[in-house]
Amino acid sequence: MSKIRVEGLTKSFGSNEVLKGIDVDIAEREVVCVIGPSGSGKSTFLRCLNKLEEISGGSVTVDGFDLTDPKVDLNAVRQHIGMVFQHFNLFPHMTALQNIMLAPVELKKQTKAEARQSAMELLARVGLQEKADARPASLSGGQKQRVAIARALAMNPDIMLFDEATSALDPEMVGEVLTVIRDLAREGMTMVVVTHEMGFAREVADRVIFMADGVICEEGTPERIFGNPQQPRLQDFLAKVL
Amino acid sequence: MNSAMNRRQETAFTVHATAHRDRWRHLARRAPWLIALLAVLSLFTGVGAATAAAPTPAPDVAGKTFTIGTDTTFAPFEFREGGDLKGIDMDLIRAIAKNQGFSVDIKSLGFDAALQALQSNQVDGVIAGMSITDERKKIFDFSHPYFDSGVQMAVLKSNTDIKSYADLKGKTVAVKRGSEGEAFANSIKDKYHFTVKPLDQSATMYDDVKAGNSVAVFDDYPVLAYGISKNNGLKAVTAKERGSSYGFAVNKGQNQDLLAAFNAGLAHLKADGQYQRILDRYLKAPGESAPNSSFFSLLVDSFPALMKGLGLTMLATVLSLFFALILGVVFGFFKVGTSRVLRGIASVYVAVFRGTPLLVQAFFFYFGLPQMTGVPIDVLTAGILTLSLNEGAYMTEIVRGGIQSIDPGQLEASRSLGLGYVTSMRRVVVPQAIKVMTPTFINQFVITLKDTSLLAVIGFAELTYQGQQIYASNFRTGETLLIVAALYFIVIMLLTQLSNLLDRKFNK
Repeated sequence: MSKIRVEGLTKSFGSNEVLKGIDVDIAEREVVCVIGPSGSGKSTFLRCLNKLEEISGGSVTVDGFDLTDPKVDLNAVRQHIGMVFQHFNLFPHMTALQNIMLAPVELKKQTKAEARQSAMELLARVGLQEKADARPASLSGGQKQRVAIARALAMNPDIMLFDEATSALDPEMVGEVLTVIRDLAREGMTMVVVTHEMGFAREVADRVIFMADGVICEEGTPERIFGNPQQPRLQDFLAKVL
Repeated sequence: MNSAMNRRQETAFTVHATAHRDRWRHLARRAPWLIALLAVLSLFTGVGAATAAAPTPAPDVAGKTFTIGTDTTFAPFEFREGGDLKGIDMDLIRAIAKNQGFSVDIKSLGFDAALQALQSNQVDGVIAGMSITDERKKIFDFSHPYFDSGVQMAVLKSNTDIKSYADLKGKTVAVKRGSEGEAFANSIKDKYHFTVKPLDQSATMYDDVKAGNSVAVFDDYPVLAYGISKNNGLKAVTAKERGSSYGFAVNKGQNQDLLAAFNAGLAHLKADGQYQRILDRYLKAPGESAPNSSFFSLLVDSFPALMKGLGLTMLATVLSLFFALILGVVFGFFKVGTSRVLRGIASVYVAVFRGTPLLVQAFFFYFGLPQMTGVPIDVLTAGILTLSLNEGAYMTEIVRGGIQSIDPGQLEASRSLGLGYVTSMRRVVVPQAIKVMTPTFINQFVITLKDTSLLAVIGFAELTYQGQQIYASNFRTGETLLIVAALYFIVIMLLTQLSNLLDRKFNK
């Protein structure tokens, strides 16, 4: 059974149709990288997977729950899907530790003491235990994104969504964040990664999806997509970014 | 329905057209729209007309308590001294009440306010140095005249050049807008070739002469005599022109026993000499007028009344802010929410209360609402209701702006963790929004504190009102206003500093 099933997904903002019918199945433990030019709908597609965007048409099924069904408890589904944003979106009025502890404590998944314990472990995992009491404002971009990943992991999700997680970083900080994501991939997390890092996609992806103009233009193994692209759009795109 | 409106409008016209009692209030400018507004509103409800027909009480007044409306300050007929209401009207109504065995509860409302209160049966009678006119007789029943007024001219005490109207050639004369004095001055200005300058208050007119902008004032004889007795720096130089008579009024066809008792008591007081003693108390020119006391003693004398006013100012500010904050949070969240209906409700609320003047709202809640509902409302409640609803509209926009200033990514990040909308707002968005809103909120707090001064017009005895009372009876306008302004300034400075301190401490 597929972990995420997307069927005929469309999304419009007013009269502007951004997704024009997406069909994709993502298996458990699969790492899917989504690439494509700006405005191709990559981020919108990703944001439909946890319904941060209202879905205009088609369906998205996660762990058997149809997100378009109004009876589905969206908050419960989202606890199983961690999301990492391009601009981190850390809560500036909380310390790194409080950012991570918020969801488990508010949702009564853990006591405060347990949440603190696991938050410290998550910080250690992203190499930032010494920044536990730091406010986001005092962290570098790379550190912020690593805290954001730790926060997304706090509810112990089995799916992780990455929305251009390294695009807003200075070049020297991209590596530290990619290392964390790479480790997650190795541990068998189901992941959908929207990225501009072609080298990284080639290295960690089980499958690469190339999107253009709101549709999946071509998909396949990294070797096929990067080594033997079929569509002229993809060949064009790769010529520009590689 | 139409006849009800016509009658109201005629009432408005009546009050307007007969505002020739010497007045420092802008009755002529203010009353018409107010009553016209009420007329329109009563057209919709029909309540205004119904309340006019209350039953007549039993003929015996002894032992009863009557609510009497009066002006806030119209020296020497009514004014405050050391917190007590004094004046010819006050002494007279109390003496008559004692003589006739009834009690009075005196409400110091302001002249037009008192007339409105009488029409809406919030008071039983009005004694406010009011001229008896044919127009007013259509809506009120008057007692026998208790005082004969008339216009008199006064000049600076040191002025020896101007002794008659003929000496005014080429000069400027100060009068009160819409007063008998103005009408008289206009009637003779062409004959004597002088210019007429209308001002709003007696104290201002006297100040204008002392400042040298005008050479003389035409004012009501009793007002002038009292001012001179209080050493206002002027002297009367002409005889009193024949003018109108003042009467005590009840609502047409109502409280006839009270009216009869007033007349009986007045006759008795005139017979036994009490009446003349009351007049002499306020109008007899002092042999040697004492010089003005020092600024310091003015400060000491006025301090208790001003502190009382400041207390009410603070009370109104705190209560209004509290309710405004609740309104602001509720409607602010309506505005950022997804429900179109709630958004619409909040938008209408803000549009109405931000789109109409605070003064209009104050008049409406104090005078209009009681007429429409038949339920009287006290001045503190009306004042706080007005301020709360008005400031609440601004608070709504502060809350909306504060929440919308927070990056939508914050809410998305919180929702992506599986937290609900309410939890996300409470833990993530609102704490950040509060930080953004605090400086604007402190600003609104200062504005609210200053806005309480507008409630003086409905007779709410806050700081500005107390100041007006003081300078209307001692004629030291400038010094009194300086003290009032200094009090506002000090309080606002202290509270702003305190707020900023708290802001820095908690919103790091």
